[in-house]
Amino acid sequence: MATSGAAEILLRYDDDQDRQHFETLFASDFVIHAFATDQGALDYLPSAATIPTAIVLLPNRADDYLESSLLARARDHHPRILKILIGDAIALNLLVKLLDHQLVDRCFEQPVNPDVIRSHVLTAALTREGQTFSPDTSEAHEGPKPAILIVDDEPTATRYLSRQLERMQDEFRVLSAISAEEAQLVLQKDSDVAVVMTDQRMPGMHGKELLDELRQSHPTIVRILTSAWGEVDVAMDAVNEGRIFRYQKKPWNAAELLSLFRKALVQHRTLVSARDRSRSIAEQQFAELRQQRRARLLEHLNERVDGFTGEPITADFLDALATVRTLPAQPPHLRASRETALEHDLVRDFAGMAGRQLSTLQPGHVHGIQNRQAFDQALANALENPAGTSETQTPLMALCQALATLMKASGLERSALELTRTESGLMVASASPLHMYSHLLAPITRLSRPLLEQQSALLMLFVSTRLLAGDIDVTGGDQCLRLSLHLPARAD
Amino acid sequence: MSSIESPSAGQGRLMASGQRRLRLYVTMGQRLLRDSLLFQILLHDEVELVGESETGVATLNRLKRATPSVLLIEENLQDNDGLTIAEHALAVNPSLSVLLISDTPVSSGRMAIYLEAGIKAVVSKDQPVQELIKTLFYIRNGQVYVGNWQQEPAPAAMLAYQALSGREREVAQLMASRLPVRDIAGRLGVSCKTVHSYKDRIFVKLGFERLPELILFMQRHQHGAAE
Repeated sequence: MATSGAAEILLRYDDDQDRQHFETLFASDFVIHAFATDQGALDYLPSAATIPTAIVLLPNRADDYLESSLLARARDHHPRILKILIGDAIALNLLVKLLDHQLVDRCFEQPVNPDVIRSHVLTAALTREGQTFSPDTSEAHEGPKPAILIVDDEPTATRYLSRQLERMQDEFRVLSAISAEEAQLVLQKDSDVAVVMTDQRMPGMHGKELLDELRQSHPTIVRILTSAWGEVDVAMDAVNEGRIFRYQKKPWNAAELLSLFRKALVQHRTLVSARDRSRSIAEQQFAELRQQRRARLLEHLNERVDGFTGEPITADFLDALATVRTLPAQPPHLRASRETALEHDLVRDFAGMAGRQLSTLQPGHVHGIQNRQAFDQALANALENPAGTSETQTPLMALCQALATLMKASGLERSALELTRTESGLMVASASPLHMYSHLLAPITRLSRPLLEQQSALLMLFVSTRLLAGDIDVTGGDQCLRLSLHLPARAD
Repeated sequence: MSSIESPSAGQGRLMASGQRRLRLYVTMGQRLLRDSLLFQILLHDEVELVGESETGVATLNRLKRATPSVLLIEENLQDNDGLTIAEHALAVNPSLSVLLISDTPVSSGRMAIYLEAGIKAVVSKDQPVQELIKTLFYIRNGQVYVGNWQQEPAPAAMLAYQALSGREREVAQLMASRLPVRDIAGRLGVSCKTVHSYKDRIFVKLGFERLPELILFMQRHQHGAAE
């Protein structure tokens, strides 16, 4: 992890002027180790104190680098190093071959935009994108057959190819679409698409744009770009931005494509199992974190909160939160919990905020509220002064203040609360669910004031309801909750 | 490796390569900041404002109908955490490019977490508006963009200004005092065409695209605030 200090670049150059120019551009951003020969770089790598984030190649003749022992070594032994080739002119054939042999990850023609190069290297230094998993060569699992989707605006060629491919094998289905828009519809219906091969030039959305979208929306689908036009700039953008698996030149050859698709399916299975593994690890590890967090919150709040009413309010409050479903735990949440002070600050800041609010509460001996009118008045006050200016609060004021905070976090107005008169008192219920996108027991990437305020408000709602001798009922849903309070009150 | 593209030329290429318009949604609490930012951003004719909100809840409510391609959102909002809102927006629409605006520069550790969470770029309120606009264009097709966010920006315009010729500086000063080209030509005793070509050269050299940028730079420079 190169999060401390500048990221390191191993520069392999042929021409000393190129080296000087590169160093002028990037010396302030990166630590650059420059070598004029592969051997020099190869000797350096094993002895390096830190593995460089990127290898940048500035060749006189880019073609020579197909045989580069440095690139082969990096590919086989240092899969996390980003390999960037910068050439005066990059031929399409070279790019296709470099991709086939997985020798480079990014490819640029001179003159380069330094912003873009810097961004690629910094991103690689910060993220674990380079993390690779061993290819999953296991046979296709039981279940529906995976599908290859071919997108091309010439249906005759596609139909012919599909039939050929269907005859040649029994491992995958072949689907087709005549436009990027149709491809998106196919993807909505068929969840077993493992590979998309798309033509670049089509009416409407272009192939590269479709692949850009897929990279975001379906990251485990393997992307292949195909074209009859040798547009090297499009191909380079597709490599650098779209992270395509391969670039397939037209005309197509069924036998060649069969072998390509088989490789792509292996890649797909690798991506899927890596994703599943990281998901289940994240969920499992977060479950442990959640337990610890809960225990620490109880420890810090118990005495203070429960002492107020003599009831296990903290536990009830945390149980209620646990019913609110939020987004599933992901690796960044774990990282935030482990690598930053998040867990510590969360408990400290929440206990601090809750403590301050509790200290303004006048315990008093209040049993029930006067009447509905008194409640309406208190709620109106709270909505008008969301900051809660008074130094001391009666339980009714605290309750209304808490309701106001919860409604503000949901963007709701007074009308979202339903008040009903019952035999023994007042029933206060949320007419529509209150939003809760995150909570104390949910995966969190960042601690924020609105989160703490909202959580603290819910706790205060529990406390003040009990002080008013009422009952509170919270039902969690997807990123929301429903509230209903029963408060004893005299007749109007 | 002989020359490099100037940042604005690089931007131009990026803008030309994607034909899709940049459909922008902006979530910022303060109207004043939102307006000032939008005045700058909307000068770029590829940008279309498809929606704006003050709060996170309103953003999530409206996002589905607005179908933006880029969401520009403040980290610190009044009602909810901006990052949490961005994570939910991404869960609904994974192809959305999110640019997060932080109050202060974020640490490398946090930047790494944000990128892993699917945020495409983070710009802090300490950075110049040009940096934000540049970032907006870099991330429009779903790319991650990380600038040298922790370094002090090089005083590029200042150095470039010192490299202007005497006549160029003179024209720059007159332009910054909002004198029309015709009047500048009259004062210097040259043709309007000549003034225009000075103007073009000054803009290219200083890396500016519009007169307001030059006016702001010159006034800061004049009062010594540029240091």
